[in-house]
Amino acid sequence: VDSSSSRRGVVHRPCSVMLLVNPHSGKGQALSLFTGHVQRMLNEAGVPHTLVITERQNHARELVREADLSQWGALVIMSGDGLLFEVVNGLMEREDWEEAIQTPLGILPGGSGNALAASIHHYSGAQPVSSEELLISCGFLLCKGLVSRMDLASVHLGSSPSNPTRLFSFLSLAWGFVADVDVESEKYRHVGAARFTMGTLVRLASLRVYKGRLAYLPVDEVDGEEDGQSPDSPRQNTAHLTFHNSHSLLVPLDQPVPSDWVVVPEEDFVLMLAMYQSHLAKDLYAAPDSTLDDGLIHLIYVRAGISRTALLRLFLAMEKGTHLANNSPHLVYTRVRALRLEPYSSKGVITVDGEVVEYGPVQAQVHGGIARLITR
Amino acid sequence: MGTTASQLRKDLLSEYQVVMHVFFRAHKRFSELLSKEDRNVPTPRVPMEKVLSLPELKSNPFRKRICHVFSTSDMKDGSLTFEDFLDLLSAFSDSATLEIKSHYAFRIFDFDDDGTLDGGDLEKLVNCLTGETDDTRLTTEEMRQLISNILEESDIDKDGTVNLSEFQHVISRSPDFVRSVQI
Repeated sequence: VDSSSSRRGVVHRPCSVMLLVNPHSGKGQALSLFTGHVQRMLNEAGVPHTLVITERQNHARELVREADLSQWGALVIMSGDGLLFEVVNGLMEREDWEEAIQTPLGILPGGSGNALAASIHHYSGAQPVSSEELLISCGFLLCKGLVSRMDLASVHLGSSPSNPTRLFSFLSLAWGFVADVDVESEKYRHVGAARFTMGTLVRLASLRVYKGRLAYLPVDEVDGEEDGQSPDSPRQNTAHLTFHNSHSLLVPLDQPVPSDWVVVPEEDFVLMLAMYQSHLAKDLYAAPDSTLDDGLIHLIYVRAGISRTALLRLFLAMEKGTHLANNSPHLVYTRVRALRLEPYSSKGVITVDGEVVEYGPVQAQVHGGIARLITR
Repeated sequence: MGTTASQLRKDLLSEYQVVMHVFFRAHKRFSELLSKEDRNVPTPRVPMEKVLSLPELKSNPFRKRICHVFSTSDMKDGSLTFEDFLDLLSAFSDSATLEIKSHYAFRIFDFDDDGTLDGGDLEKLVNCLTGETDDTRLTTEEMRQLISNILEESDIDKDGTVNLSEFQHVISRSPDFVRSVQI
């Protein structure tokens, strides 16, 4: 029995699958994609399912918070990452969050903002595909019902450092130039996948420097946990440990970072991107080395001074994931377990999983393998 | 006898004062750009080269297009009257709305002034950003990839060009856009 197969669970059948759809997702296509492809696949595979159509923002979050999870074998989101964001946070807001977050989650691309679907598809080793092929591929994975562990990051925002807002994130934390480009497209109906092009060009014209203080806890090379292949038990224990002592890596925002953290000397940035999955958007392959539960935050930041051409080239290279090989002197890539960002400018944009959040000091740490995702 | 009716309310008065202050400051700056002879002409025009010397525009990659868009000159030489100058300052001020800014940004990017942004306009747009020297320009392949991305993202009716409403639609998704279009 090899360790990789022993880490896989399965969705317990014949429990029903709750399928959540945002009817406005992806140019309004999500529902027709469901009836056109997914429904048929689920029926053929004998997967009982119930379709829930969300009516407004936070509907899914509230629903999941109150649901009787014993009825559901899995929660499947058929929309952009924004809906999964609501579901993850709804589960974590429950009293029984520890069991609740074990509920297998599935994602089917609904036509927009499908960074996680793109990441999963990538991890399965397949070639990049069109949106429809991505949907069918994810549909197959869903019907197979194999479950893997997924990293989550807890993100703390602090207008009042003694009582920070806490969110759970499965994809990314972004600041500066890139926070514009990955704004969740579901907020703006009838637009497809968020791309970085026209908006990028306009912002390139007045390329801004974002001032702030960045610090992080680098991965400890010694403990050998970074490659994700280590045996189950120590990693699971670590995941629970870091969660229960959720401040074991983070100290309150109004205190200086712990002494084993690295403080970046520069204070002028163009962008900061913290990724825990490989894709920031369907065509933004931002963290090529990331895997679903590697227990790492892949931190990428670009220092001020980069030329517009170099920045443009960086985004073009990010489509193929070759941007880290470019050896741009302004780009820094490092693997961390936690980070803190304190922006100095009063105005700006920070996004978590593509959702705009309160602008101000923010810190995050990774919780390895704490959620469960239906994938290969 | 009618003295109260002729007094301006205090808040309106202070607003009026702000507007007049801005107006006079703009006029002062405009006059500084005029040559001595032009100062006595009824509706003087500042030539484009002078406008381009303004600190706010000097390093703006689209400075020439900006002059052309705001210029009302029959000779299409990018020269600005004081009214043109006010329009420019107003569109780039932080009180201008998203709609105003995106409208002007569209006109600025429409290099051939034909009312839509086609591949040629987009290419010129990108070259303005990257600079025109060989080592800063994008390669042909990079340019092709970028233009294809832009059109895929923005060209909703798939006619190969981006019209004003498609442009405004895409731009409205940028939370930072309003601040980008400021001088």
